[in-house]
Amino acid sequence: MLNSTLKNAVNFSGALAIFASAWSPLSIAADSQGAVNTLIERHRDVLMPAEFHVEATLLDGPVFANENGKTLYSWPQHRGRNGYSGEGPGSPECYDEVVTVTAGLMSPYPPGIELPEPIGRPSCTDLWPPVLAATDAEPVDKWTLVDRKDGTKQWAYDEQPLYTSVRDSQPGDVFGGKTRRSGGDSPAYRKPVGPPSMHPPGFAVKSTSIGRLLTTAKNDSLYSFEQDSATEVACVAACLNTWQPVIAPALAKAQGEWSILERSPGVRQWVFRGKPLYTHKYDTESWSLLGSDKPGWDNVFTQRAPAYPDSFTVQATIAGEVLADSKGRTIYVYNCGEDSAHQLSCDHPDDTQVYRLAMCGGGSPEKCLKHWPYVEAAENEESINRIWRILSIDPMTGRLVNADYEGAMRVWSYRGKPVYLFGADKRPGDVNGGGIGEWRGQRNGLRAFWLRDDFMNGIL
Amino acid sequence: MMIKQRLLISALFAAVASSASAADDSLRDGTIGYVMTNLFWSVYQTPDGQQECPRGFNDGPREQFEKLFPNPEDMTVEQTQLRQEIETWHPTTEPDGFEFLAVEGDLSWGLNLDGTDSPNDFTHPDGTAGIDNEVYRAVGCIIGFRGPDGVEVIFQDKAIADETYNRMMIEITGVDNLENDDEVTINLYRGMDRLLTDATGLNVMSGGTQRVDYRWGKDLMRKMQGKIVDSTLITEPIADMVMPWMNLGVPSVHIFRDMRLQLDLTSDGATGLIAGYADIDKWYYQLIRNDSTHHLSNGQISGISLYKALRKFADAYPDPETGENTAISTALDVTMTQVFITHSTANEGRASSSGER
Repeated sequence: MLNSTLKNAVNFSGALAIFASAWSPLSIAADSQGAVNTLIERHRDVLMPAEFHVEATLLDGPVFANENGKTLYSWPQHRGRNGYSGEGPGSPECYDEVVTVTAGLMSPYPPGIELPEPIGRPSCTDLWPPVLAATDAEPVDKWTLVDRKDGTKQWAYDEQPLYTSVRDSQPGDVFGGKTRRSGGDSPAYRKPVGPPSMHPPGFAVKSTSIGRLLTTAKNDSLYSFEQDSATEVACVAACLNTWQPVIAPALAKAQGEWSILERSPGVRQWVFRGKPLYTHKYDTESWSLLGSDKPGWDNVFTQRAPAYPDSFTVQATIAGEVLADSKGRTIYVYNCGEDSAHQLSCDHPDDTQVYRLAMCGGGSPEKCLKHWPYVEAAENEESINRIWRILSIDPMTGRLVNADYEGAMRVWSYRGKPVYLFGADKRPGDVNGGGIGEWRGQRNGLRAFWLRDDFMNGIL
Repeated sequence: MMIKQRLLISALFAAVASSASAADDSLRDGTIGYVMTNLFWSVYQTPDGQQECPRGFNDGPREQFEKLFPNPEDMTVEQTQLRQEIETWHPTTEPDGFEFLAVEGDLSWGLNLDGTDSPNDFTHPDGTAGIDNEVYRAVGCIIGFRGPDGVEVIFQDKAIADETYNRMMIEITGVDNLENDDEVTINLYRGMDRLLTDATGLNVMSGGTQRVDYRWGKDLMRKMQGKIVDSTLITEPIADMVMPWMNLGVPSVHIFRDMRLQLDLTSDGATGLIAGYADIDKWYYQLIRNDSTHHLSNGQISGISLYKALRKFADAYPDPETGENTAISTALDVTMTQVFITHSTANEGRASSSGER
């Protein structure tokens, strides 16, 4: 929200521009549960036009938003198997036009086949309103203006045209896209756009299912030791055979949440939020969680993911840990994107349900309830935050309905979309539904809700 | 001349000493370990499939789509793409309108799993009768399953070396002699480490170290009994083996019932067969969960047709209610490289390490 940011108005190139700087670390605490969610990620000062600001989000770190608090998205170009979709720099491709045939981007299926529900199909801008600029708007730093073919001006950041999503309703919502990694065969997702995270050079932040993971710039996970403090380290001598202190350059200075500890004469170690940072010498992969198995050691996050429902459980599998329901059944997220020029989503209850019903039940809603049951909320459960909410769904259509609708089911949702179980999972730890559906579950299918794995970066 | 003779004798002596040393080094306290470095369905091939596939090879999804829908631009996604995807993900044994080309030859690699010689059995190229390998009958005339360049062969070759998830090992204990021993114990574990390779990164070297995965791999552990006869390890069958099998990013498994090993052992490695009855549903869904229809198309693998064939040729473990067989005989060619296996429960980890609230 505007009133929760610290802004300093400055004049820049004749236009009113502002610096948006770090946030109060407690500004989103009211939306989440548990101490681990009270800290949020700070960001670097950036120049921006007056009509924009920065919003904190629960999963994606700081993002840019318009004056109504709606998150700004770009649609970067993405390579499919048979060509590209998305937008190149400075080239808007999303217009108030309805696409009715496939693009043939994903083999083996050819282009030109009629898409589902041709009557009433949304146009690209029905779902992704462009962020239009006033006729007298001026560029500010990385914020530029691009021409749309109807003669209007559209804001762009880093040359990528900007949009809002009709799926977002509150400031801080990021239901139109995500910063988490999407596989190479995913649809051309819209990505929330935000300022750089506040950290010294040599570090990076990665969105994961369990929070915003702090790493080195080379993607090595960072760890902290519970016995260390900002002024004293307990990890010495033999401990250093396993843990490598992250050394600060001679000219580095403390700033904000980052400080420096001189652990021995001339050896300066980076400290984040009062904890000296280390890498784990036995991590074999990027973004590893392996070191957190050592007692007293934890991965470091700029912010943790919000709490999941109390009734949910965590189950061990042969590949790691998954989120599961109260009976230990693995929870899955449904992903769907159309093979069309606009790459519109088909995984939200407001989207066409043709793809989902085909994949979960061969077109039969009854079979879908057997093969991919919704995760029903108990009568006494309530939505717990903006990420994990209870929706009322008509199970025969998959559409959102009012709570008093006859036959409505109260189901758990993640980021605005229902989550599912998989009928062929028979015991806790089964993950038979992962990768079910087109393109390993990336385009019309299920992905398991991984919380931990040491094998395939399932949390990314 | 004398110098050359001396050098030759020295070299021979060094080679013998090195070989003895290698055997001594790899067999320590009656224990030797091996890690899998190649693993794929055992497919007996003749040039161009002349003997086993005299009528050619099967069509894949791309060819079938073109035959089913010659004018797709006049049709809808529901009538075409989604129809095929529904058939793939909700497979049946009903005919799909395409003739399936099964292996027609008599020869196959594999083992006699049931101790009988029935009319459907293959004969081993060495003349052994009663070979049970119905997976071969189903996949032998599908290009993607044929070496050396079938898409499945390539994916699995790469995945077995690259993916730690697949890092299965055997540890043989109670070994008095690597050539003959009438009683040894074999434990199956998953390793946690990358393979030791030469400088090219392509050739796996013996003598590496693998830590046992006590964190996530406990359900994969099995114990077997066996013997070594003329350097060949022969095991008794065990009830089942869970084989982790991830070749395109989706962690999945195969289940082999009545699984047994037949491996030629050296101090540097082991080659031979893993054989048993594969659970058909696990087999099929492992394939299509990892491979999209695109990847299947590249190997001319129609999941729709292949499922029907697997069910048709299934030869074990009838469902108690329907009577339909749920498993199919199979053999896998396996290559292993000697490793030193280390046991430490220190990597068991913390419970629910990521489940903090």
